Amino acid sequence: MNVLTVKELRKKFKRNNVIKGVSFELPEKKIIALLGANGAGKTTTLQIIAGLMNKTGGEIQFEGVEAGTDTRQMIGYLPQFPVFYQWMSGKEFLQYVGKLSGLSNEAAAKKTTELLALVGIADAGKKKIANYSGGMKQRLGIAQALIHDPKLLILDEPVSALDPLGRREVIELLKKLKTQITVLFSTHILSDAEEVSDEILFLHHGEIVESGSLEALTAKYKQPKITLVFERSPQSYIDQLHQALKIDEVDINGKEAVLLVNETDKARDIILQMSVEDRWPLVKFEMSKAKLEEMFLKVVQGQ
Amino acid sequence: MRQWIFLLQKEMLENIRNFKWIWMPLVFIILAVQQPVTMYYMPQIIEKFGGLPEGTVLQFPTPSAEEVLAASLTQYNSLGILIIVLSTMGIIASERKSGVAAMILVKPVSYTSFVTSKWIGSMLLLWVSFFCGYLGAWYYTGILFEFVPFSIFIESLLLYGIWLSFVTTLTLFFNSFMKSSGMIAFITLTIIILLSVFSSTLSNALSWSPALLSNYVTQYLMMGVFPEEMTASLLLAIVSIIALLIASIFLFRKNELAA
Repeated sequence: MNVLTVKELRKKFKRNNVIKGVSFELPEKKIIALLGANGAGKTTTLQIIAGLMNKTGGEIQFEGVEAGTDTRQMIGYLPQFPVFYQWMSGKEFLQYVGKLSGLSNEAAAKKTTELLALVGIADAGKKKIANYSGGMKQRLGIAQALIHDPKLLILDEPVSALDPLGRREVIELLKKLKTQITVLFSTHILSDAEEVSDEILFLHHGEIVESGSLEALTAKYKQPKITLVFERSPQSYIDQLHQALKIDEVDINGKEAVLLVNETDKARDIILQMSVEDRWPLVKFEMSKAKLEEMFLKVVQGQ
Repeated sequence: MRQWIFLLQKEMLENIRNFKWIWMPLVFIILAVQQPVTMYYMPQIIEKFGGLPEGTVLQFPTPSAEEVLAASLTQYNSLGILIIVLSTMGIIASERKSGVAAMILVKPVSYTSFVTSKWIGSMLLLWVSFFCGYLGAWYYTGILFEFVPFSIFIESLLLYGIWLSFVTTLTLFFNSFMKSSGMIAFITLTIIILLSVFSSTLSNALSWSPALLSNYVTQYLMMGVFPEEMTASLLLAIVSIIALLIASIFLFRKNELAA
């Protein structure tokens, strides 16, 4: 079941088309990563879904909700740079937005305590937000997005502003939320998307250029590659290899050679056999699949 | 309704934490109270600091209590309005600019409640400050000169308060669609100044102008009867306040919060 269906979403700023007909579906209780370079239209897309911006065209349909009704109750939203009332404490802010979202006083207080613990700032709950560090604000931002038990959590670059430790913790938090809630998060950090997301949407210049589950995308774009490192320049050995096997692409960089081949198993046998027979000064032999990053570059450059 | 009360509570709490609930009433008291005090001690002040040539005989007619009270009120015409505008200039704009308005309004919060709670919050602050200040002026006028009947005090308070409310609402109106609080203060003050200048120079043609309310209140204090033209001016002020508030809600809703 899909929580949200977006059809042909368009957004125009003056004469500038920022979103050019984006369509996608968000399946229930999955984590979906919206990937794209800076300026691809990620934030705009999320803001339109969250109701902070008007769309120029297209449809946004929540499951089981008639078009035109207020869907804010169903959405938890964390902007890229969350800001709060500086004069409130973290606890006060959470209770305030909880009550504004329709929770009773007791429910808001209970939920606040839970969430402060969940995001790991229980100790700082009574401190003024003005004294919070960037990472603490980000966590408080996630907590406020979850306060009214939304069906859909929208996170705009939830980890970009964090240090490695904070990033790790937010990723772990997202993993905890998996299976409980649908999460749509934008990022330009590919390894994060690779780590937690079930599905990926590639946004490029305001269009979805590729989408699908992580496995499906890897299967589609994976081209096995073999990395060889020699003690000296690999050119002559690569020439030898060319005669023995079909190589699609070679990239030689210093003592390292990266080969793209189709028949990996055959290539491995030949390379290992030749290196033994001819006593190649081989330092490293590695077989790997293309990473999301390379996938991303391919998708983008293919446009 | 419950949500509206939480929004108003937040406005009140914010104005307590940033000390507006302390300094606004204080400034309003100082502004108004200094008038009866300086008027009472004027002969002594001139004697001490005036350096008049010897033999000069100055005869000060003792002003009537109503004159003193009216003079206190005119203190608010310039400085009072300036303070009102400066204290309300960022009431929505600063929250939109920082982005915290967007944080609140992605929650199921009514736009109408958001704007009206801010309006009521600043109205309460204004009326309490104004009441304290004007009451102080009335009290000191009573002690140093003569007590003006309390009913007249209340009537002039309500009438002049409508004019100050108009100023507050006008500031809120520009807040609903502009982001720069400096610009909001500039435009509001310019409009108020132009309105006052034109209304008092062309007071016959523009007798219905809300900006003349302060003149009418003065006249009422001096003469003891309401000027005829006042009704139109008062009605127009009230209608403008309501219209500006409705327009503010409409414009605020129409604006994209994220932009």
